Amino acid sequence: MFQLKKSSIKPYIYLLPVMSILIFVFTLGLGISILQSLGYHPGIGLYEVTLDYYREVFQSAGFFSGLIFSLRVSMISTVIAAVIGVSLAYLLVMQKKDYRGLQALLKLPIIVPHLVAAFLIFTLFSQSGMIARLGVLLGIIEESRDFPALIFDSQGIGIILAYVWKGTPFIFLIVYQVLRSIEQDMVEAARNLGARGSDVFFWIFLPLSLPSVFSTFIILFAFSFGSYEIPFLLGPTTPRALPVLAYIEYTNPDWTNRPYAMAMNMVLAGISVMLVWLYHWVFKRYQHHRKGR
Amino acid sequence: MERSLSRILLIILSLSLILPLLMILMWSVTVSWPFPEIFPRELGLRGLRTIFQPGSRALDSLITSIRISVFVTILTLAITIPGGKALGLYEFPGKGFIKIIVLAPLIVSPVAIGMGIHGTFIRLGLTNTELGVILIHIVPVIPYGIRIFTNIFELVGDQLEEQGKVLGAGSFQTFMHITLPTIMPGIISAGSMIFIISFSQYFLTFLIGGGSVQTFPLLMVPYIQSGDRMMAASYSLVFIVVALLALLGIEKMLRLYYSKNSGIAGVFYTKNSD
Repeated sequence: MFQLKKSSIKPYIYLLPVMSILIFVFTLGLGISILQSLGYHPGIGLYEVTLDYYREVFQSAGFFSGLIFSLRVSMISTVIAAVIGVSLAYLLVMQKKDYRGLQALLKLPIIVPHLVAAFLIFTLFSQSGMIARLGVLLGIIEESRDFPALIFDSQGIGIILAYVWKGTPFIFLIVYQVLRSIEQDMVEAARNLGARGSDVFFWIFLPLSLPSVFSTFIILFAFSFGSYEIPFLLGPTTPRALPVLAYIEYTNPDWTNRPYAMAMNMVLAGISVMLVWLYHWVFKRYQHHRKGR
Repeated sequence: MERSLSRILLIILSLSLILPLLMILMWSVTVSWPFPEIFPRELGLRGLRTIFQPGSRALDSLITSIRISVFVTILTLAITIPGGKALGLYEFPGKGFIKIIVLAPLIVSPVAIGMGIHGTFIRLGLTNTELGVILIHIVPVIPYGIRIFTNIFELVGDQLEEQGKVLGAGSFQTFMHITLPTIMPGIISAGSMIFIISFSQYFLTFLIGGGSVQTFPLLMVPYIQSGDRMMAASYSLVFIVVALLALLGIEKMLRLYYSKNSGIAGVFYTKNSD
C-alpha cells in the first residue's frame, strides 16, 4: 500500500464541485427545514422561534400512529429481507455450481423501481390478485371478498411485502460477495475438525459477514423509513406513513401549516441520523469485541 | 442429503422473488383477464401500442426521462470522480466531517430534503424546469459515486499518474490516458447505479418538476393508483427493458473504450495483482 498524501489545497479543489452541490441543495435544504420547523419563516411572516410546532406535532394522534407505523413497517420488512437475503447467500455459497443464471435473475428486482414493485405486490396480493385466484382454484376461498385485505390494510402488510421484495436481492448480493471471498481453507479446516453445516454458518459465515449485513440493514431501513412511493401507493388512509403525512401537511393550502410539515421532516431525518450513530457505536463495540478474543 | 435439501430451498426462495416479474409480462399483453381466472381470457397488444403510438405522451416522457438521467449520470460522475480522488488519496483537515456529509443523503429522507429546498428552488426559478429536476436527482446518487471512487482510488493510488507527469504528460493527457482507463470498472458500476436511481425517481421529480417535467414514472403512477393493470404492466415492462438496455449500453460503450486503452490499464492491473 501507499501513504496517504498530505496536500494543503489540492483535495479541497477536488471536493469543491461535489461539496458545492451538496451544500446548496442538501445542507441548505436541511437548514431551512430546521428553521421553518422552529417557526422561523420570514416568507410567510413568521419570526418567532419556538418549539410549539414540535410539541403540537407530537401531541397529534395522526403523527404518533404514523411514526409507529413507519418504524414498525421498516423494521419488519428489513428484518425479513435480511433473513431471506443472508439465507439465500449462504445456500448459494454452499453449492458446488455457482448458478450464474440464477444470480443474474436475482439482480432483476434491484433495477425495478419501487413504483413497479408496488404494482407487482398489488397484482399478486390484492383481493382480485393472483394469490386470491389460486385460492379460488384450490377451493380455499369462494370469492374475492374471502381473501384477506392485505393491500391498503392498517397493518401495512402490502408495504412490507413490497420492501421485502426490493430489499432481499440487495442484501443477498452484498452478503454473497463477502461470503465468496472467505477462504475455502477455513471452511475445509472447520469441516475436517468435525463442524457441521450449521456450525460453519454460525461460527464462520455469520461473524465474517455481520458488518456488511449490518450496514446494508441500516441503509435499507433508512430508505424504507424515509421514502414516499410505496406507502403512498399501498398504504392505508389511517395510519399514514410519516413521509406521506408530512407531504400532505406540506401541501395544505394554509401556509401557516408549513412548520408542522417541517417538524415531521425533522423527526424523520433525526431518527435516521440516530440510526447511523447507533451503527457506528455498535460497529466499534463489535470490532473491539472481536479483537479482544 | 443436506446439499440437495439446500438446493431445493435455494431454488424455491429465488423463484419466489423472480416469478412475480412474470405478472408484468402477462398483464402487459392482456386485454381481458377477469377474476378468478388463472390465465388471461384475451391477449392483445393494446397497452404497449398505446405507449408506442408515434407522438404519444408516453414516448415523449420516456425521452425526457432518458435525457434527465443521462445528464444526471454524466454530471454526478464528473463531480464524484475528483471527490473520490480527494477522499481516497489525501489526508487533510476536515476529512472526517466531509466524509459524513457526502454519505448523508443515503440516510436522510429525500422527502425532508426535497421539501426543505423547494422554497429556494421556487425563488431561483428552478422548479418546473428540467435543470431543477436534474439538480435534485444528483443529491441522492452522490453517496454511491463517492463510495465507489473513494474505494477505487484507495486501491490504485496515483503512482501511475505521477509517472506520466514525470514523462512529460499534461494534466489533461494524464487524465484521459491514465486515470480514466484505470478507474473504468468504477465508472461502469457507478454510472449504471446512478442512471437507474435517477431513472426510477418519482417523488423528487414530481415535487420539483411540479408536473411540467413529465418523466416516465410520473405517467405510470396514475395507472397503478387506479388499478389499470394492463397499462401499468405495459409501462413497467417498457421501463424495465429500457433500463436493461441502458445498463447494457453503458457497459458495452465503456468496455469498448476500455479495451482500446487497455495498454496502460493492463500493465497496471497485472502489476498490482502480484
